[in-house]
Amino acid sequence: MSDPKEAAKQAWGSKLIIRGRITRWGKVLLGIVPIVLIIGGWALLTTGVAEERVISPLILPSPWEVVTSFPSLWFQAELSRSIVASAWRVVLGFGAALILAFPLGIAMGAFSRVRALFEPLAVFGSYLPIPTLVPLTMSLFGIGELQKVMFLGLAFFIYLLPAFVKAVDEVDDVYLQTAYTLGVTQWQAVWHVLLAIARPGLVHSMRMGFGIGWTYIILAEMVAADRGLGQIIIIAQRRGPREHIYLVLLVIVAIAFLVDRLWIYLSKSLFPYRGVK
Amino acid sequence: MSSARESLPGTPRPAAPRPESPQRPLPVVEFHDVSKVFNPGTPGAFTALEHLTFSIEDFPGRGEFIGIVGPSGCGKSTFLNLLAGFKEVSPPTSGEILVRGRPIQGPGIDRGMVFQKYSSFPHLTVRQNVRFGLEINRKRSGLSDAVIESEARQWIEKVGLSGHEDKYPHQLSGGQQQRVAIARCLALKPRILLMDEPFSALDEPTRLDMQKLLVELWVEIEATVFLVTHSITEAVYLGDRVWIFTRSPGRIGKEFRDIPVSPRGVPALEFQKSGAFQDAVQRVAAEFRAVDQTMGASTAKAR
Repeated sequence: MSDPKEAAKQAWGSKLIIRGRITRWGKVLLGIVPIVLIIGGWALLTTGVAEERVISPLILPSPWEVVTSFPSLWFQAELSRSIVASAWRVVLGFGAALILAFPLGIAMGAFSRVRALFEPLAVFGSYLPIPTLVPLTMSLFGIGELQKVMFLGLAFFIYLLPAFVKAVDEVDDVYLQTAYTLGVTQWQAVWHVLLAIARPGLVHSMRMGFGIGWTYIILAEMVAADRGLGQIIIIAQRRGPREHIYLVLLVIVAIAFLVDRLWIYLSKSLFPYRGVK
Repeated sequence: MSSARESLPGTPRPAAPRPESPQRPLPVVEFHDVSKVFNPGTPGAFTALEHLTFSIEDFPGRGEFIGIVGPSGCGKSTFLNLLAGFKEVSPPTSGEILVRGRPIQGPGIDRGMVFQKYSSFPHLTVRQNVRFGLEINRKRSGLSDAVIESEARQWIEKVGLSGHEDKYPHQLSGGQQQRVAIARCLALKPRILLMDEPFSALDEPTRLDMQKLLVELWVEIEATVFLVTHSITEAVYLGDRVWIFTRSPGRIGKEFRDIPVSPRGVPALEFQKSGAFQDAVQRVAAEFRAVDQTMGASTAKAR
């Protein structure tokens, strides 16, 4: 199974088969190929003395230059403090969105009248381009910390509300009907049936929302942020070094990935009964 | 959250007290000329039930078991849902439904229901599922936690799930999930039990086990049972009476009251091989075909 030769044969040896089987190693091997090609191509384009390169180092530094600029990102640009500042804004924005989206989403999922009341607004929101919220929140909240949190909060809210409604929707009618024949009142049905059964779906929505919202941090910090990952990118764009842009992108992806793992862990420990779906 | 004291629409009421009059007791269930039309007055209007009238008497100490068969789309499920009082179908377009002489106002614990779909709450263990109804009705019933726990344990034992108390529904087989649903429902001692194809999703051996279980429990609970099934054998085996519903508009096209009852102690398979049983199945099946073909449907299934 773990024989690399066998894995290579598995990955390349046969024709393309729709939904064909693939071993673990074959999968890893195939996944690495485009990454190697991209980094190889990147290295090729940025090799040699600065003046003779195909692409100027001012636009695209070499992979090696990017990696070795990490110490300057860490010490001079104070990466760790920026991560904390950005994460704090995201958490505040997420919290603000949750406070509103959670009860409203549950109410819309449970009661048709509440849904009819807010659905048009929710549809409007879901087609709203998120970047337009930057100037909008700036005219409402200025350019300070409040604007950044509010922008993130709005972006989270627009995603979370319909996702929460859908999570409640997905609770099968059979549970409600069963509960009614067991004597629950309306409110008990909301609490003991809809909310209780939708919990894993609700947490899943939060996980997806958090992953998406986190990437908006760059938009939030485009203007007048005294610290943050977005701010590092803006500074690096104006004054260099260019390497920092690429590094920060990697950092943002890495953090998003790790936080997602955390959500999965949380979900698994909260809902052990979801073992098999 | 659970302190809604006022009676909301659709809130189940406690079971109607059993009338103690020495005369004829009120029938358990009465349908007076009940019709149900979905989307009335539109081009999509659909008559699910029409002029349904019947009355099920309350025999002291034992309820009747009514097996209901009929072609698909004949309103069997609509019938059960009306009797359950679910808001999706209630109230009927016309006519009156009485349970022990009182018109029904939404679902209630006097009418338990078991569905074809697995309905065990996925976030609760077997024990918690069975306790659910007992706990919800605690204020009304005044049961102590110890009583609830022992009731739950007894019902889990009766449906043969001892040892599985702490499992979650996803860890159970289909048959076991239906056992949970039955225990959870019967723990509240409903006087009427509504079953909508409860065993249809199960494989044949499990199905036979479940039928046997139901027969055993039924003797004990003495409830009136309405069981909708697509299996004529099942209806004949379990039912005291068998109703054949007609295709839309749904009506009781034929009633059989002379269904042989499984004698105590005779295994189901053995009894089902007996001449009397086979004969009853044949009669019902023949009538099923006749009803299906004569009662109007151009799409009647030809055998």
